[in-house]
Amino acid sequence: MVDRQAPVLITVRNLRKYFPIRGGVFSSHIGDVRAVDGVSFDIHQGETVGLVGESGCGKTTVGRLLLRLIEPSSGHTFYRPPPEVSDRLDALYQSLGTQDLDDQGKAAKLPANAPAILRELDGIANKYSIYRMRGKRLRTLRAKLQIVFQDPFSSLSPRMLVRDIVAEPLQIHHMGTAKQRYQRVAELLQAVGLNPDHLWRFPHEFSGGQRQRIGIARALALRPDFIVLDEPTSALDVSVQAQILNILKRLQVEQNLAYLFISHHLSVVRAISHRVVVMYLGKVVERAPTEVLFERPLHPYTQALLAAIPIPDPTLNRERIILKGDVPSPASPPPGCRFHTRCPAVMPVCSKVEPPLIQFQADHWVACHLYPATSATPQAEPALASGPVGTALPTTAPSAS
Amino acid sequence: MAEAAPPVTEAIAVPAGETDRIGNVILDVRNLRTYFFTYDGVVKALDGVSFNVRRGETVGLVGETGCGKSVTAFSITKLIADPPGRIMDGMVLFKGANLLWGLEREARFKPIPKTNRVKVRRYYRRIRQAQERMTAVRGGGVSMIFQEPQSALNPIFSISDQVGEALLLHRGGEILDAMLKARSGGPAVDAAIREVVKAARANHSETLHAATAKLAEAVGLPSIATQAYYLFRPSWSDPESRVPELRRALRRVRLSGLQKSYLRRERKMLDLTQNLRTVYLQEMRQGKDLASLRRAASRHRSFLKLRTFHFGLWGIRGSVKKPLTQEVFWRTVALLEGVRIANPVQVARGYPHELSGGMLQRVMIAMALSAQPQLLIADEPTTALDVTIQAQILELMRDLKERQGTAIMLITHDLGVIAEVADRVCVMYAGNIVEVAPVRDLYKRPLHPYTQGLLSSIPRMDQPDKKLESIPGSVPNLIYPPTGCRFHPRCPYAMPICKEARPPMTIEGEGHHVACYLFHGPVWKG
Repeated sequence: MVDRQAPVLITVRNLRKYFPIRGGVFSSHIGDVRAVDGVSFDIHQGETVGLVGESGCGKTTVGRLLLRLIEPSSGHTFYRPPPEVSDRLDALYQSLGTQDLDDQGKAAKLPANAPAILRELDGIANKYSIYRMRGKRLRTLRAKLQIVFQDPFSSLSPRMLVRDIVAEPLQIHHMGTAKQRYQRVAELLQAVGLNPDHLWRFPHEFSGGQRQRIGIARALALRPDFIVLDEPTSALDVSVQAQILNILKRLQVEQNLAYLFISHHLSVVRAISHRVVVMYLGKVVERAPTEVLFERPLHPYTQALLAAIPIPDPTLNRERIILKGDVPSPASPPPGCRFHTRCPAVMPVCSKVEPPLIQFQADHWVACHLYPATSATPQAEPALASGPVGTALPTTAPSAS
Repeated sequence: MAEAAPPVTEAIAVPAGETDRIGNVILDVRNLRTYFFTYDGVVKALDGVSFNVRRGETVGLVGETGCGKSVTAFSITKLIADPPGRIMDGMVLFKGANLLWGLEREARFKPIPKTNRVKVRRYYRRIRQAQERMTAVRGGGVSMIFQEPQSALNPIFSISDQVGEALLLHRGGEILDAMLKARSGGPAVDAAIREVVKAARANHSETLHAATAKLAEAVGLPSIATQAYYLFRPSWSDPESRVPELRRALRRVRLSGLQKSYLRRERKMLDLTQNLRTVYLQEMRQGKDLASLRRAASRHRSFLKLRTFHFGLWGIRGSVKKPLTQEVFWRTVALLEGVRIANPVQVARGYPHELSGGMLQRVMIAMALSAQPQLLIADEPTTALDVTIQAQILELMRDLKERQGTAIMLITHDLGVIAEVADRVCVMYAGNIVEVAPVRDLYKRPLHPYTQGLLSSIPRMDQPDKKLESIPGSVPNLIYPPTGCRFHPRCPYAMPICKEARPPMTIEGEGHHVACYLFHGPVWKG
């Protein structure tokens, strides 16, 4: 179990990314694909956060936004905010009142002192938001945030030797002499379980699992403290997948890495993550520590995802929740709760009002009308939520099974 | 001649005497060897694969990438790309008929000295003949669902064109007969139409289904039921106002003289091809009657030429074909409805790029089931899909198995999927089957070290605290496969004997066979 009191590494607040749809005669702006629509979560040092959802729900976009591979439409990702700043951030966002603060027109809902709050937020953003960094600061930041891609077959240049692929980040950041760099490459390859004689080969000479190891070695080259793992095992066999997951776990402990593990496979997420964020159509529907989420999934979507996973035990007779239909288009998401078109527990209110993400228990957040925010427990919690109380709660989860 | 020809399925059905020997086995694969001849050498992708599938059973084929699962599926249906691939040896008995009949005459092999390459001399005429023979079985008796539906469907044809093609190919006779016999009018039809209007007023889909089915019965064409149902289903306007539209739709049942003669001609054509295939299939079993085969083939070809000339000259092909096109379209809609597509009419008119992966996979399943096959080979049908969609597709396959009694051969690397769907499992490793067992037995008592390794490397939802084990190393290069047991370089229990000889399949329980020297049961002989 990761130390919950570890400092926050990355704070994501109200992140949005709209991709414009262009059409018509002058290819004017006719709409938006709301790939990410107001996502907030924290990642602490040395922990793994799993990001789960079906394809097209915006998982990969979140991963790319966190690395600033693409610019957000609005919202912020704060990198290493000091504890007092992150407390202040929580307070500021709370006093803004609305979960859904977007840039365009919700000014009517904002409290009277909103301009002052926004000004203060802006100040913090200038210091800590990765989207405000430029020049040298951005370059040092780039070294600290890395990514491992989904497809090991297209993410390695077929014309470069393995040793050049892994040494490239070092070269770009002018680290050491050539000799030192290649020495580091040999170390890295050893760390991910490849031999030094693999240095002089080309990517096509490797199997999928080995290529993914090369990708991991490349991501580790600059000693990052945060890696986005974008479905790193979905193209691999189970036996190889287990090898990769074990390597990732080992490296995390050795180097105190934080991961954002993006996957649609909940059983893999359970095996590696400390906390899980479940996304549906660009929104976070549930957020909880892994044990809590898997012991007691609250949102119907999470429940359906869990029920959909085939369990390798033929004697087990499970209750099946099979969702109808496909994910709706993010260009025109359904009104109200975005899941209501497929939800087995749909109510009349669901198609009208969008449920806010409420705190059901310490550290367990859910966006669903089935769980009203008015119950007594969550009221007591907020003050403690960001504090160390989070550690106390998950221990209730039975881990005997 | 046309009347005398039995349907293809009957022609390859098991003769009475053979039933006892074959029993319930629908597919029997024996000692299948498939090699690929590449510049680096001969890749021995399958090295003596034997297993069987019984009627109405689901058999899972599991293994890592590159262990030969898909090659097995492609070898059974003879879809191996040739060159470079070639089925070298073995038998695929589908209901007693050997689909690989005449294999040894298709090519000669000459090793090139001082290299590990082999020169292959292919006899293309024989290969073509064998392929033509396969068309009777492929898609008809055995059909396949492929891993990536996006690349398995043609992007420039509509869904109805593609599903309709399969439908026409395998059930053309039935469709044409029904069309020639159908009646468009009469008191029975009028009464049925009134009934449909009444059902539409009630606004209840089941009553409407029943009423349209009755109408179709009166007309004598099942596709009319689907067409009428989708005409009357929207409930916002008065059903009475849609009666003229239904009458117009029914007009396609009344054929003009030219249309009738076209259909008759098509029917005759089908008889002829069917006849031809029957002959091919008989030849397949008995291995004779080549002369009549050739005669029939030449007649078939000249008929094709004549027909093309006939309609090309008159330039009226479109209007003549229209009733058939419409009939096939509505039958396609009915098929799509059967795989639980919510709006089958729009989907049938659409193109593959307009549909999501799960929907396309349903279309593929509809296509595969259009001929009502006895065996469905599903090659990683859910690998490219999300878990929620995977659950939908697996549910659909389970349902189809129960409804139609189709035997399914499910190829996957996901042991979770196997546990949910399969009755029996074959575990493959590097071109060999290493373990065969009933599904419960395999998960409770995995014997082969490879199976054990596979099972312990899955992250389990139900056992989250279990440490993930992994099998060291990776699948071997099949140009230079390990000697003896192909798993020995990765096996934790490897013994000296494992390097020397391939372990025999031994019986270790009811239907549980394993090829490993750790076990000493009686040897299993196919």
